[in-house]
Amino acid sequence: MSDNRMNNRIKHPHSKVNLNKPLSFTFDGKSYQGFAGDTLASALLANGVKVVARSFKYGRPRGIIGAGAEEPNALVQIDTGARTTPDLKATQVELYEGLVAGRTSGWPSLAFDLKSVGGKFSRFMPAGFYYKTFKAPVKMWPIYENIIRRAAGYGKSPIEADTETYDHQHHHVDLLVVGGGATGLLAALLAGRSGVKVLLVDDQSELGGYLLSMPNVKIGGLTAQNWSANIIAELASLPNVTILTRTTAFALHDMNMIQAVELLQDHLPHSARNATQRRERMHRIRATKVVLAAGAFERPLVFGNNDLPGIMTASALTTYINRYGVACGKNAVIMTSNDLAYQGAVDLAAAGVKVTIVDTREHINPEWANRTNKLGIKVYSGYGVSEAIGTSAVQGVKLVKLGALKNIVTGSGPDISCDVLASSGGLSPTVHLFCHDGGRPKWDEARLAFVVSANGRAKDGIFCVGAITGVFALQEGLAKTRITLAEVLTDLDKTIDDSGLALETDEIAVTPARHIFHVPDGKDVHGTIFTRPKAFVDFQNDVAVSDIQLAVRENYRSIEHIKRYTALGFGTDQGKLSNVNGFAIAAEALGKTIPEVGTTTYRPAYTPVSFGALAGAHVGITFEPRRYTAMQATHEAYGAEFEDVGQWIRPWYFAKPGEDIHAAVNRECLATRNSVGMLDASTLGKIDIRGKDVREFLNRIYANAWTQLAVGKCRYGLMLDEAGMVMDDGVTACITDTHFLMTTTSGGAARVMTWLEKWHQTEWPELEVYMTSVTDHWTTAALVGPKSRDVLAKLCTDIDLSKDAFKFMDWRDGTVAGVPARVFRISFSGELAYEVNVDASYGNYVWNELMKAGKEFDITPYGTETMHVLRAEKGFIIVGQDTDGSVTPFDLDMAWAVGMKKPYSFLGKRSLARSDTSRTDRKQLVGLLPEDPNVVLKEGAQLINSSDITPPVPMLGHVTSSYYSAFLGRSIAMGFVIDGIKRRDEEGRNIVYAWAEGKAVKVKIVSSVFVDAEGARHNV
Amino acid sequence: MFVIRCPHCCEVREEEEFSYSGEAFVARPSAPEIESDENWGDYLFMKRNVKGWHWEMWGHSSGCRKFFVVKRNTANHSIGGAWSLTEARKEYDAEEANA
Amino acid sequence: MFNSSQSNQTSQFKPVMQSPLHPFGLAAKQEKVNGTKGVWANEVPLLGYISLRGNVQNAAFINAVNSALGISLPTQPCSMLDSSFGSILWLSTDEWLLICPREQRATLQKLLETALQGIHSQVFDNSGGFTSVILQGKNASDVLHHCTVYDLSALQAGKVVGTTFGKVSLFLQQDKNGYRLVFRRSFADYIWRYLERSALPYGFGIAQLNDER
Ligand SMILES: [Zn+2]
Repeated sequence: MSDNRMNNRIKHPHSKVNLNKPLSFTFDGKSYQGFAGDTLASALLANGVKVVARSFKYGRPRGIIGAGAEEPNALVQIDTGARTTPDLKATQVELYEGLVAGRTSGWPSLAFDLKSVGGKFSRFMPAGFYYKTFKAPVKMWPIYENIIRRAAGYGKSPIEADTETYDHQHHHVDLLVVGGGATGLLAALLAGRSGVKVLLVDDQSELGGYLLSMPNVKIGGLTAQNWSANIIAELASLPNVTILTRTTAFALHDMNMIQAVELLQDHLPHSARNATQRRERMHRIRATKVVLAAGAFERPLVFGNNDLPGIMTASALTTYINRYGVACGKNAVIMTSNDLAYQGAVDLAAAGVKVTIVDTREHINPEWANRTNKLGIKVYSGYGVSEAIGTSAVQGVKLVKLGALKNIVTGSGPDISCDVLASSGGLSPTVHLFCHDGGRPKWDEARLAFVVSANGRAKDGIFCVGAITGVFALQEGLAKTRITLAEVLTDLDKTIDDSGLALETDEIAVTPARHIFHVPDGKDVHGTIFTRPKAFVDFQNDVAVSDIQLAVRENYRSIEHIKRYTALGFGTDQGKLSNVNGFAIAAEALGKTIPEVGTTTYRPAYTPVSFGALAGAHVGITFEPRRYTAMQATHEAYGAEFEDVGQWIRPWYFAKPGEDIHAAVNRECLATRNSVGMLDASTLGKIDIRGKDVREFLNRIYANAWTQLAVGKCRYGLMLDEAGMVMDDGVTACITDTHFLMTTTSGGAARVMTWLEKWHQTEWPELEVYMTSVTDHWTTAALVGPKSRDVLAKLCTDIDLSKDAFKFMDWRDGTVAGVPARVFRISFSGELAYEVNVDASYGNYVWNELMKAGKEFDITPYGTETMHVLRAEKGFIIVGQDTDGSVTPFDLDMAWAVGMKKPYSFLGKRSLARSDTSRTDRKQLVGLLPEDPNVVLKEGAQLINSSDITPPVPMLGHVTSSYYSAFLGRSIAMGFVIDGIKRRDEEGRNIVYAWAEGKAVKVKIVSSVFVDAEGARHNV
Repeated sequence: MFVIRCPHCCEVREEEEFSYSGEAFVARPSAPEIESDENWGDYLFMKRNVKGWHWEMWGHSSGCRKFFVVKRNTANHSIGGAWSLTEARKEYDAEEANA
Repeated sequence: MFNSSQSNQTSQFKPVMQSPLHPFGLAAKQEKVNGTKGVWANEVPLLGYISLRGNVQNAAFINAVNSALGISLPTQPCSMLDSSFGSILWLSTDEWLLICPREQRATLQKLLETALQGIHSQVFDNSGGFTSVILQGKNASDVLHHCTVYDLSALQAGKVVGTTFGKVSLFLQQDKNGYRLVFRRSFADYIWRYLERSALPYGFGIAQLNDER
């Protein structure tokens, strides 16, 4: 194939390729030369490379069909290592020096594909083949999938971490213009002149759209190139206009939110790429008005063997010659059903290529007849190509004579040899974005296209101009763009200024097209499956005409079902070339009209978008917010390992050299119970609440009562949701009669704050309370253990710390290490403990002073793991670990924290009396002691009645918390057991088994208070 | 990805600044204890789930932290208005009266 | 609430304050703003922040605040007021943030608390909980467009808005030198790193602080 290094490059006066700047690149391991301005596709075609891929299902050799985003075949793997990107369309890859491109399909090689053996017997692979064949046995599915995927190809994802960066950018504009072709440029200019904020996006490296492919047309007496150059220059001079090229608008969401992805560096050689710049940027554009000038794609005609390499669309053939200076062959046949293909034919012939036109129409446009005649182009009118001839590339065509009125074969035609075959079945407007948020295009029989109207959805601010509206002639498109823009600008309270803009062109007036999509071959529909060549509709998914006909024979009726059964339009090209042909062929098979069949739904993304662009800055260290306390640097210096608690990063444990987590936690627990430890508790949520109704507010919010809590005192509270389930807990202090300070769980702070505000704002606005989140203001150091009073006394002289002056559950204001502090005598460990709160600006200083003061007592900082063990030894719950949103206070055996006598029916109270919630045999939290004290149960282990696991095994509950307690010298756990509280107290029923990882461990149900049930340790 | 005009900040802001907060005007029974299990269950769980215009509560979580009411069409995400809780009540009652 | 004059400190203690962005060592990296970078930023560390809540329908509340501070409390949505002591930001219909030099925080708080005695309101010293970052340079608004969904063309001087920044929230205002970001302490690391990352394509410098307090 590619050993045949033809040079198809010609000198073309308007080519955008710079022949003075050669670039070398490799494709599929071979070296080639292209030029600056080439795409990979144009460079491959210039080098005579015809086979670039193997097809998905049959492994048939495939070549380049299109010249842009519509390309279904030429999917390539670009670059290597961390930068490698699969499935880019060669037609959209800009060439640069040293580019390395590979195939994404063809196994084991492009030249020989195992599936092509299957292709010869393709009657065995009709629509639904995979569904029908690889159905059973189920256990073989992974193996089938592996083989199918490998054979199918579709490139390789990078396995190295991405070394490049991506970001997002938000825009708020008056007008977004999608598409920088002739009408888009005009729209942007007219809007730009009025002074509104305009953003123009275009997916190509250069503005101009299809004008780049038709350089000979004159607009207002200027060449297309000069006309657009003038507009681009004026746009550049307008400060209110922003132009983004290489930027594909890929989604349109509610209220004109358009997402577009900009490729910033992939067109540059590696040596020119800048590490401070992004590889891709996702733009999120909120636009008051949107003008869609997205243009159209030319759809090919469908005929036998139409997938041979060397067969392409007529517009692609035209683009390659006019924009890239590449003649795709020496002997071209162009089949068309309309006038569009003629310009390219003429341009090609002028460049010295032998051209033959096959026009399916009886009567061709006299002006084009005249021009083709002058260039010696032979035109067969009333003929069609029924079949292409060739094996690995097109070598000729078979013509048939078509009926004048019906698409039937009425006679035979000659065979013609050729080395390139192009076809045009008309244009399919690029209506994708218009459809993303629910818009539907309409079939226009005169234009043979699904089109949108010029004031598309004007009430929503979406307008459409140019080919997308079915206006395919340039002059008409420009004139209508002017009218539409006048309307858009009126909506924006501006007036249009079109001075100096001449919009008439020298195009040849268009004559009607023929309604034809699939060229008939005159063969009997039935019984010819062995001899009839396949006529493909969707090249990427190998969907042939016969597959659509089969789907209809199998009684599929809705186009959405036919699409799913055949996979029509499901490729990464989203059926840009194939959909309309597919609908038309389905319509014919169903005996319906195209509008009766309708279109399928287009969804974002219009073209594939990389994960990098979608993620933007939300990767690595900025993936999620990481919240730190004021002592972070100190914790790091002390050797902390950290764990995530919601968004907070908290010390997990502080390992000394040689210690693992178990050794460190055992040491921390013992040091705390025997002397003194210190925990950074700053992450607890804190809410300052004031007003004369605070007590009543708390009575309603919490399950327990707050009326009697005295100034200077604290109380533990359980917060329930309206379903009666525990949602948060914490200690709240009475600062004054009208001022309380609430603490919440670390992970629940924001949710609780929102919860309080919502109830206050919506249900109880009459209560005089104000709440402010003060979590970040306070740094909290929990000083825990029998020596905590001694440590605090060294730094705090203005609070009487004696047992009776500062009791358990009291708080005091004072000074610690010279800093104003609020000290709570509360305990989450059962030990004598003080929580010292200071302004976070002083947090690190006070922490270090406490460490210094505690040195003589071997003060030990500890993390969340030790905190968990110490609290579990006391049977204290952690909301979110020992609860899961389905747990009532009674399930937790915490009736003492529910004030059933309060006058107002507090949140969740009524639900506690519902029939299911009030059952006494619900799953209840109990303590669990493994029979073997060295076995630590798996958290999440199922609890069952016996070690016999023969199904069915009734599930009683599960282990929620489980640790090794160094203080007790044995393992402990907590968990839920059906009727657990009663079972705990009944000898004989108090044994269960914890089942995890293939083992059943015998466990005794006990009280969850494992240490100091009488509270002697903190009462000192 | 729509925009909402916050009735308190008096500005049109992006959806990302707001949090959905459930159906609006779900009144908490004034005396929950006398409600049947069924009525209480309806209050807790039975929401309208309409296709079309829906009165719903939103919070301006990144802005003023106020809760307010949005009338939104669940079928196409168009927004019929946004009002403070008290203003919305008037709109809602007027609409219910006409219905 | 506290007697925060630090006269009662025993002489053995030398309390040290650290701002939320202290770990980044910005003071040592700052330089005079010049043309080499598109984006310049720095933390204005250790200001005083007082949270204030009250009812604007209550004339007693408004009068008390206005007379205590010698200002007219901004009640227009998203408005702010610069004053001799600093600035006061409208955060919500019943919520403001007063930003002042740390040294004046206690005095202002005392003035407010005294004036608001008996009036339903909330005054809270939130100074440990917030910090401010200035953002300047020719690409300052560009970099913000990578970070926030807010339409910055709507942010004139004298305005403050609560909006998003990456995945968190903050208050954003504009003054003659550029932008000012006010946010909670625990998000400082995330916000600074996000800003640094977003500014990379434009060049990012640490601006010398002039008279930003
Ligand atoms: Zn708001």
